[in-house]
Amino acid sequence: MIMEPMRRRGALVAGCLLLAVAGHALAAGDARRGADLFAEECGDCHSAVPGKNKKGPTLTGVNGRKAASVADFAGYSDSMRQSGIVWTSDRIDAYIAAPKKIVPGGKMKYDGLADAAARADVIAYLLALK
Amino acid sequence: MIGSIKRRLFASAAVAGGVLLAVTLNTPAEAVPSYARQTGSDCAACHVGGFGPQLTPYGVKFKLGAYTDTDGKDGKVPLSAMAVMNWTRTAKDLPEAPAHFNSNNNSAVQEVSAFLAGRLTDSIGTFVQATYSGVDRVSSLDQLDVRYARALKIGDKEGVFGVSFNNNPTLTDPFNTLGQWRFPYTASDFGFGTGASPLVENLAGSVLGLNAYTLWDNNFYAELGLYNSVSKSTANKLNNSQVAVGAIDPGKFSGPGTYWRLAYFKDMKRDNFSVGLFGFNARVENVDDPGRADRYRDVGVDAAYQFLGNREHIFTVNASYVREWQKLNYTFDTLAASENKNNTLNNFRVATSYHYNQSWGATAGLFKTTGRADSGLYGASSYNNKPDTAGYLLQADWTPWGKESSWGAPWANARLGLQYTGYSRFNGGSHYIDEVNGVDRKASANNTTMLFLWLAI
Repeated sequence: MIMEPMRRRGALVAGCLLLAVAGHALAAGDARRGADLFAEECGDCHSAVPGKNKKGPTLTGVNGRKAASVADFAGYSDSMRQSGIVWTSDRIDAYIAAPKKIVPGGKMKYDGLADAAARADVIAYLLALK
Repeated sequence: MIGSIKRRLFASAAVAGGVLLAVTLNTPAEAVPSYARQTGSDCAACHVGGFGPQLTPYGVKFKLGAYTDTDGKDGKVPLSAMAVMNWTRTAKDLPEAPAHFNSNNNSAVQEVSAFLAGRLTDSIGTFVQATYSGVDRVSSLDQLDVRYARALKIGDKEGVFGVSFNNNPTLTDPFNTLGQWRFPYTASDFGFGTGASPLVENLAGSVLGLNAYTLWDNNFYAELGLYNSVSKSTANKLNNSQVAVGAIDPGKFSGPGTYWRLAYFKDMKRDNFSVGLFGFNARVENVDDPGRADRYRDVGVDAAYQFLGNREHIFTVNASYVREWQKLNYTFDTLAASENKNNTLNNFRVATSYHYNQSWGATAGLFKTTGRADSGLYGASSYNNKPDTAGYLLQADWTPWGKESSWGAPWANARLGLQYTGYSRFNGGSHYIDEVNGVDRKASANNTTMLFLWLAI
């Protein structure tokens, strides 16, 4: 993940604000640790580059996005299309903790990230993506 | 000459690789960008160092899923191409200059390959490689792996179940430790190889097999394959292996050859490991004199570890040990071409690699082959009648592209590398008999330096 320092700082501030607005119980994560965790856990299938889709859709701009709504990504499952999810930080947290529980029949081949602090870091990173 | 080679190869296909001229040995290299185009992923997602063939867990699962994962878009063409060019220098001139080449300092377009590689249906995919050898000047069907796979759920456990139709027992393996897929991933056809190897590693292109496999609960891998030899004429049409080049009778399986594989695989994302067992059994008889068959029984253990982290610093270790028991019913009883009816061959390999930023790589490996002394099988080239060969491999390479943000991704792929092979023992000891010239030769005379450029599109 390559971000200019000022831009990264701005993005982090924006991410924190979004978390605050959401008003949920998630602990604030560390976006820098989240970047590493994203590379380890998510990066094979998802890109942080705007408009770049892999097996999964780009995760830039995921916050507030309706599920299965990336226009040029064709790989959504019917389950995801019909889930009605809007990706807020708490919904992302629940989903990456247990994807198959939140979207049964979904395509994502990922068993989940059990560590809540690690999920918070990943979410902080995702929210910081511009 | 051909008669003696024929007898020797039939006596033990496993040992022939170590005593035939090295120019007949092809080490296939594989790099398949059509998979990257199909999935939208970068090469580095599937391959350590951003270039094939060393698989990451993502690559393992892509392979076991029958090469069918996709980004969902239609219109992907499952075609790729590859070329390997190299320059090779050996410490002392080759015993005999290969046809079209010099006795040393050879440069060649070693192989040019076309691949049919990718998803054909939701459940069927291919890895098929046709190669033109610029050294042997022949074309071949190098690799054939056509797979069907589907997900399976029993209770709360899930797995992948698949079937593979293929032409090489270890081609189907998803890890980086067995014959087809271990380091070195490319080697010079002007080099001297890494010594005799068990039968299971000498069958590429001369057999066809049907394998069933499963990766259960993401951890337990099991595979069972049944193989039969193809006829000599078919083998010569399809491939440029030792069979075609040397006009050698590869023998014929008496009954099916059986390949089995068990492994435990644990992917912790940050790092992963596998430990496994594998084996191959076959009875090989002379096509022109069927009846008595030489029996080969190979059993091996292997282990691998990868630290991937955030992909900036990647560290891997791959190791395998194979022991082969040979019962030479035909070679000993009928041909009287071996000293012993029962022989053994042991093959140990280990390699460790480090890659920085998916671009700069360094790999070091050790190889060691030992076996029971047999004057009939090894006496012509070995002072102590043993096949023992040992040495080390060092490689440094640069892979400029292959990452998500790389120029020309996923079309432009290249690796530039320098590889050195050093021998402490060859054909039994630090000195051996150069069969071609009938003179003494040092093992270290075979030390080989190769500069290579490997391109894929």
